[in-house]
Amino acid sequence: METATALQTKTVAIIGNPNVGKSSIFNQLTGLNQKIGNYPGVTVDKTVGFLRIGEKEINLIDLPGTYSLYPKSEDEVIAHRVLNGLGQEKPDFALVILDACNLERSLLLGTQVMDLGIPMAFVVNMKDLAIKKGIQIKTFELYKLLGVPLVLTDARNNEGIDAIRQLMATEKFESPKPLLDSYAFADKALVEEVIARFGFINPYQAFQMLVFGEFDKTLPIADKQWLKEKSLVFGFDRKRQQVRETEARYVKIASILKKSVDRVKIESSNVTISLDNVFLNPVFGFVVFLGIMLLIFQAIFAWAAFPMDLIDVGFAGLSGWIYENLPPGVLTDLLAEGIVPGIGGVVIFIPQIAMLFGFLAILEDTGYLSRVVFLMDRLMRPFGLHGKSVVPLISGMACAIPGIMAARNISNSKERLITILVTPWMSCSARLPVYIILIGLTVPDTLWMGISFQALGLLAMYLLGVLFTLLGALALKFILKTKEKSYLLTELPIYRLPRWKTVLLTMFNKSKIFVLEAGKVILSISIVLWVLASYGPSGKMQAIEDEKTTILQTTPEAEWSSVEELYASKKLEASFIGIMGKAIEPAIRPLGYDWKIGIALLTSFAAREVFVGTIATIYSIGGDVENELTIREKLAKEVHSDTGEKVFDKATGFSLMVFYAFAMQCMSTLAVVYRETKSWKWPILQTVVMTGIAYLAAFITYQIFS
Amino acid sequence: MTAAELSLQQSSIIESIRESDISINFLELGILPGKEIKLLKKAPFGGPMAFLIEENIIALRQQEAIMINLKS
Repeated sequence: METATALQTKTVAIIGNPNVGKSSIFNQLTGLNQKIGNYPGVTVDKTVGFLRIGEKEINLIDLPGTYSLYPKSEDEVIAHRVLNGLGQEKPDFALVILDACNLERSLLLGTQVMDLGIPMAFVVNMKDLAIKKGIQIKTFELYKLLGVPLVLTDARNNEGIDAIRQLMATEKFESPKPLLDSYAFADKALVEEVIARFGFINPYQAFQMLVFGEFDKTLPIADKQWLKEKSLVFGFDRKRQQVRETEARYVKIASILKKSVDRVKIESSNVTISLDNVFLNPVFGFVVFLGIMLLIFQAIFAWAAFPMDLIDVGFAGLSGWIYENLPPGVLTDLLAEGIVPGIGGVVIFIPQIAMLFGFLAILEDTGYLSRVVFLMDRLMRPFGLHGKSVVPLISGMACAIPGIMAARNISNSKERLITILVTPWMSCSARLPVYIILIGLTVPDTLWMGISFQALGLLAMYLLGVLFTLLGALALKFILKTKEKSYLLTELPIYRLPRWKTVLLTMFNKSKIFVLEAGKVILSISIVLWVLASYGPSGKMQAIEDEKTTILQTTPEAEWSSVEELYASKKLEASFIGIMGKAIEPAIRPLGYDWKIGIALLTSFAAREVFVGTIATIYSIGGDVENELTIREKLAKEVHSDTGEKVFDKATGFSLMVFYAFAMQCMSTLAVVYRETKSWKWPILQTVVMTGIAYLAAFITYQIFS
Repeated sequence: MTAAELSLQQSSIIESIRESDISINFLELGILPGKEIKLLKKAPFGGPMAFLIEENIIALRQQEAIMINLKS
């Protein structure tokens, strides 16, 4: 029997310095064919792209941007593990991206990869800039000296990308001779023992193993111990040998570049330095930063409202359509009241998340984000944070999840932990619908000097979040202990125009991660909630049903709908969730909440935005769908059955907002914190402390306003 | 003299990097002995400093800048 020609699958690892255009090349090659996963035991995302060239299937592994293969963060550990095939299959080839304007520095990493003995090729990117700067690379000369094939590219303008494809198709990778003799930095006997133990093919792999040994958390304890002992026996001083290795490497690189690169002095105006005169100016720099932040806020709050309204209306319409066109029954109810609103509750956040990440991608891509680190570091430090904490904290305003994930860039573990722990206090977009509904209910819609009171109310909630984030960080600064020194040593890359493809891809990928990670939780909670609200202890539910039937027989048809609504609410009270809400009512009474709000609090522990859905469910379930009022109008009419007073008065509304500002109510965030800290200690602590403070603050708020 | 003592727009040549746990971080960013270094910007209130080293702009805090010894 004949089979189709089997596809040949090859794996290529792609590595390079930060800001070298690596992701540009990766995106040009793979487009939307990317998959984001995890490496076991570490928090680094594993991004793999797929492309097909003729009969060849290529899995492109995008390794994190790094300046060298020295253990500094998990990024380097991952690069080391992938390139040496530790815990995973070794890639067939390596593609190292070099910066044509910065060959010396990028070859530090490049030659380290050479010495590992993996078949490889170099991509010399940003040739356009190099030409402008008068850097002339003699490609053939460089190839002869390094023994590694070279491709020149200008990835931003899509130049040379076909040459990379061609190179991968024809597998023109070569295993070069090592640049350095590893035995100069570690005892030969030691290196040979490491090679034997780990089954390596060359001495530099063994040297790297010795260097990474104590740093690699995923390495089995026995191996770690063994490496430590052997290092001691042979007197191998990791840090010293690394410095020696680097210095030796730079000497060799300098001599190679002397023969292969000509420099013509071109006097050109330096755009980056001129722009920095504005962006890093002690006064204008901050003005520009504030302006950009305002623009982002405007986008998230105002511009995102339009698509969000459309989504809202669309899903409400869909629910109505389902009721009209499907036969009545449990499944229809589940679909119209559980699943559709649940999906709607997830989808509605996509505009905001996409916009925030779009802006962040633009800021990062243009080189501005590093300037934010430069400007903000001094202000962050007194709070135990790093200039790099600004990015996670700002991201936290859209969603704590990407913010916490972005904290990986902070190399100091204490600063990173503080950032992770306080980021959920930044006002995330999930709180926004809660605030909007409650502010609409409790703050008058009047203007003060042309500014709406409601807008001021929202601003106040955001400032409250920022204030407590900083205070929380300050408290943690004194509580957490560390021996690590904090440092700032970062490049401010040149300014460039953003690559729109990269920006759009980031927006797409981040929205996808949100829908898949948080969406699952929110949707399942919506379904569980619907079941809990629709069913109860069977005897009781049946009794209410019977009572309703009896009453209906004696009432005129015109009053049926009000009877229906009354019994719907009675049924809800008798349902499982009604029972749970009532059970916690004594505890939340001092905060000004009744059992219905109690139910919303319970479901919000899955995710804050569930509040709106729950409240909507609680007040609309069982009622006539034709008769649907908007949630806000409905809530405004809600009164306490005993006193006849409004449920959502100022005191309760403010108290609820304060509770939502502080409480840890997001299972997805907790899951991410666990993933990032590799310990349940921190998410549990976060839940207890944040919710405790929320309870106290809400209590005080209620007492003040009631 | 160290890089922390440079005044704005002043240039010098790097003589050595003081040995520390983060010496390797200087080296891998291309902050090497023999290179020209120029102070471009200082963030207010004793914040980070931005240096031009060859054609790269590197931001350091003062505590890191004092680890760069300059030729007198």
